[in-house]
Amino acid sequence: MRIRHTQLLIFIFFLFGGISLTATAYVEPEIPQTESDAPQPFNDRLPDEPSVVVLDGDYIPGKYGGSMRLLMGKKKDIRLMTVYSYARLVAFNQELELKPDILLSFDIQEGRIFTLKLRKGHRWSDGEPFTTEAFRYYWEDVLNNEELYPFGIPSELLVDGKPPVVTIIDEQTIRYEWDEPNPFFLPALAEPRPLYLYAPGHYLKQFHANYTAVETLALQVEEAGTRNWAGLHHRRNHPYKNDNPSLPVLQPWFNTTKPPAERYVFKRNPYYHRVDQNGIQLPYIDEVTMQITSSSLVAAKAGAGEADLQGRYIRLDNYTFLKGGEERGNYSVRLWQNGAGSQYALYPNLNSNNPVWRELVRERQFRHALSIGINRHEINQVIYFGLAEATGNTVMPGCNLHTNTYQSNWSYFDIEQANEILDGLGLDKRDDRGIRLMKNGKPLEIILHTAGEGTEETDILELIGESWRQLGVMLFVKPSQREVFRERVFSGEAMMAMFNGIDNGMPTGEMSPGEFAPIDQTQLQWPKWGQYYQTNMQVGEAPDIAEAKQLLDLYHEWSKSDAVEDRESIWHQMLKIYSEEVFSIGLICGVPQPVVVNNRLRNVPQEALYSWTPTAFFGVYRPDTFWFE
Amino acid sequence: MSDKHFVSDAPFDPESIERMTADQEKFFLASRRKLIWWKLRRHKLAVCCGFILAFMYGSTLISEFIAPYNYQTRNTNNIYSPPQRIHFFHQGEFIGPFVYGNDYRLNMENLKREYTPNPDKPERIRFFCQGDSYKFWNLIDADFHFFCPAEDKTLFIFGTDRLGRDMFSRIVYGARISLLIGLGGVAVSLFLGLLFGGLAGYYGGWVDSVIQRVTEIIRSFPELPLWMALSAILPVTWSPLAVFFGITVILALLDWTGLARSVRSKLLALREEDYCTAARLMGAPPSRIIKKHLLPGFSSHIIASATLSIPGMILGETALSFLGLGLRPPITSWGVLLNEAQNINVVALYPWLILPVLPVMIIILAFNFFGDGLRDAADPYK
Repeated sequence: MRIRHTQLLIFIFFLFGGISLTATAYVEPEIPQTESDAPQPFNDRLPDEPSVVVLDGDYIPGKYGGSMRLLMGKKKDIRLMTVYSYARLVAFNQELELKPDILLSFDIQEGRIFTLKLRKGHRWSDGEPFTTEAFRYYWEDVLNNEELYPFGIPSELLVDGKPPVVTIIDEQTIRYEWDEPNPFFLPALAEPRPLYLYAPGHYLKQFHANYTAVETLALQVEEAGTRNWAGLHHRRNHPYKNDNPSLPVLQPWFNTTKPPAERYVFKRNPYYHRVDQNGIQLPYIDEVTMQITSSSLVAAKAGAGEADLQGRYIRLDNYTFLKGGEERGNYSVRLWQNGAGSQYALYPNLNSNNPVWRELVRERQFRHALSIGINRHEINQVIYFGLAEATGNTVMPGCNLHTNTYQSNWSYFDIEQANEILDGLGLDKRDDRGIRLMKNGKPLEIILHTAGEGTEETDILELIGESWRQLGVMLFVKPSQREVFRERVFSGEAMMAMFNGIDNGMPTGEMSPGEFAPIDQTQLQWPKWGQYYQTNMQVGEAPDIAEAKQLLDLYHEWSKSDAVEDRESIWHQMLKIYSEEVFSIGLICGVPQPVVVNNRLRNVPQEALYSWTPTAFFGVYRPDTFWFE
Repeated sequence: MSDKHFVSDAPFDPESIERMTADQEKFFLASRRKLIWWKLRRHKLAVCCGFILAFMYGSTLISEFIAPYNYQTRNTNNIYSPPQRIHFFHQGEFIGPFVYGNDYRLNMENLKREYTPNPDKPERIRFFCQGDSYKFWNLIDADFHFFCPAEDKTLFIFGTDRLGRDMFSRIVYGARISLLIGLGGVAVSLFLGLLFGGLAGYYGGWVDSVIQRVTEIIRSFPELPLWMALSAILPVTWSPLAVFFGITVILALLDWTGLARSVRSKLLALREEDYCTAARLMGAPPSRIIKKHLLPGFSSHIIASATLSIPGMILGETALSFLGLGLRPPITSWGVLLNEAQNINVVALYPWLILPVLPVMIIILAFNFFGDGLRDAADPYK
């Protein structure tokens, strides 16, 4: 990358005269100019006060250049680029503390008044200024628009059902104010799939009825084939999904390829707000390409050196193969720690449509019996080389909130005790195959749904099925596509499901304990209760197990408390209830995650936590600081 | 030059030309079945393949006895063990068939399970021995095997899979399902083909037209997607055995059309023959004419074409199971085994898991050669 004259001069001054660099002397990469989108004049692309990253220790400041190749298995996976890029209003750092990122600073009063301050001179990836206007547009014209959001403000922004008061103080300052404390607000902004507060109004106004004439809109709507202008607006504004190349973003790279495609190219955002300690604007890497292939081929392709950074679609059982290709493919495989509370967990559907099954599965002891009827040690030995640990579906060892009781509650293996429990539940009659009979005389056959993509799930289930057979419980496995799978669980058709365990195995007391309370439809053990909560009691069913209600109450209590000790004690109460109740059956945790890293790629940690949340996979390690040697 | 005619001294026999040699006489007097057999016997390859088929089908009757392990026995200490070579000479001394015991080590560097044969541990294979217990034909409890590993040792001549199950035993058990599905499917499709082909061919007219059109419609479907659709309907709660029959019927339902067509055309030709007309004029009912006069006329042909469609069935089952739509574990067929072998790890690290391809290829080739020979022999008067 060529450095322009002024920079060169400053550099020479710096060398010879010992004149220290001033804040204005930032180095920005040269962007090939085209007539249509000429970048702003040099040195005007960065905000006045960019976010300065200090790379020290194992991390070395780098240089520009190169193209980073990623492999993905589905067209939808381009959204992972938003996860990996991880430019957020506030973001977790590697120590999992919340720090301002896009924001210059934030200020919290009484846990309920949030004043956010933007960086002066910050620009969208198309060069337009990024000011509080973007927040105003999103708040007033999008979220509060009846056609765009007919059901009102999304529940993430409500506290006790009430929206915040939004005040724009000046071009760089905006305030969100609730009546009650809102501890979810800042962490939600730092999520891998963040809560968006802003949108590029200058671009989106052309799709908005308030700003564009009805006739012009009608033409565009017809062309796009959406139902109305609201549909068009939604389609154009998916900052998370990355599916609209024209949408201005604030991420280090922006998508330049219109879906559908087999290969997506993400180009450097010339207006990105971060610089390293030498004043060099990030990201170092010029472009990121994402090749969409079949998920089963990702390991093979990565092993052939076709990926520069790959963790997705690679599993521990590929490790041997990948290790063998290291020299040929000029990469190294690192073993990161998977941050999921349990690699997989079984979710007995408490909202099943089958009344007999529902009654049975709501029996705490029945869940206990199923849980201790699983030989986790064997699963660990056979599938994970003995590198993992048996666990319930709870937080991981190494987490501050972890105790051995949570991990070992009902996660040992005892066929005899399990059989005694089942006999005690009145399931003592058996058919001629030795399968227990339920109250209605039907054999206890569990049809378990999985979104299985590989043999790992089916192998585990085979082992589980075999040990459950000793309990007189028959297990059938029905693999299906993820969307179909979810639909079946949500509707109550599925009796039991297998899916990833707790996402965030390394929470702190400050992080939401929402995964342990019925607040979300995607919690496969109680989808209808979750839906009930999410839709403000419109759809779904109210929780009717005392312990589940208790979890929900504790969750509310957590959201109201602002003392760290209180929050931690609530966390512990919830973990204790959850592990005693075994609402979901955890299996194994601490399974290492192989990560393929090109040997020329610098600043990728040797060992790290790999998980959706809180680390956003590679996100908190900031791929914008990775560079090619 | 002699002007004298040559006159044979032998007595004149006016039938000398027409008289047959003993061989010829045997040929002319032989029954049809015998003729077919003689003709088939001359086709060396077909005979050889016939033996292979007989051997393989024979083995399915005593799979439990042949396999050293049960197909579901897991050896968690021997996951992904490569095939063990059978030796006869230990340090230059003949001690009968044996394998060298494996030393196991988990390579922590690349997490590879490494097995090295230890030349100090010869483990003699036992024959007619006691091993895993099983229920022979689901009737008799037994634990007798043709061969077993040495006491408390292991023997994996085709290696083991990811759960430490013996591949050889699984292939032997898988043969039972894969081969039976061929026979079963052909039996059903033969029945359907004969029924519909017979009706169409004998009655002709609108019956013929309807059946012909239906046949054409069925034939016009691409096979694989239709198989996939049909097998996706099979409920998940069906026992594996029921699924097995379901798959058999599905395969047969789509296969009978070819057979029905050839039956029909043969019938159309034969029913115009004089002997049929004669029988009809003498007042024989259709069923008698079909059974006595028509069927024997093309039975051999049908047997040959049925034989040729068995490999199609076997491949169909293998394809369906390979795609994960056919048989489901715990039932083990060659297709199920191959389904488990379809990933990069297997190709790169555990190639012995692809071994089930071998019996599939052998059985398909054998059926094709055998069917070929049978078809040639089916019309011995040509």
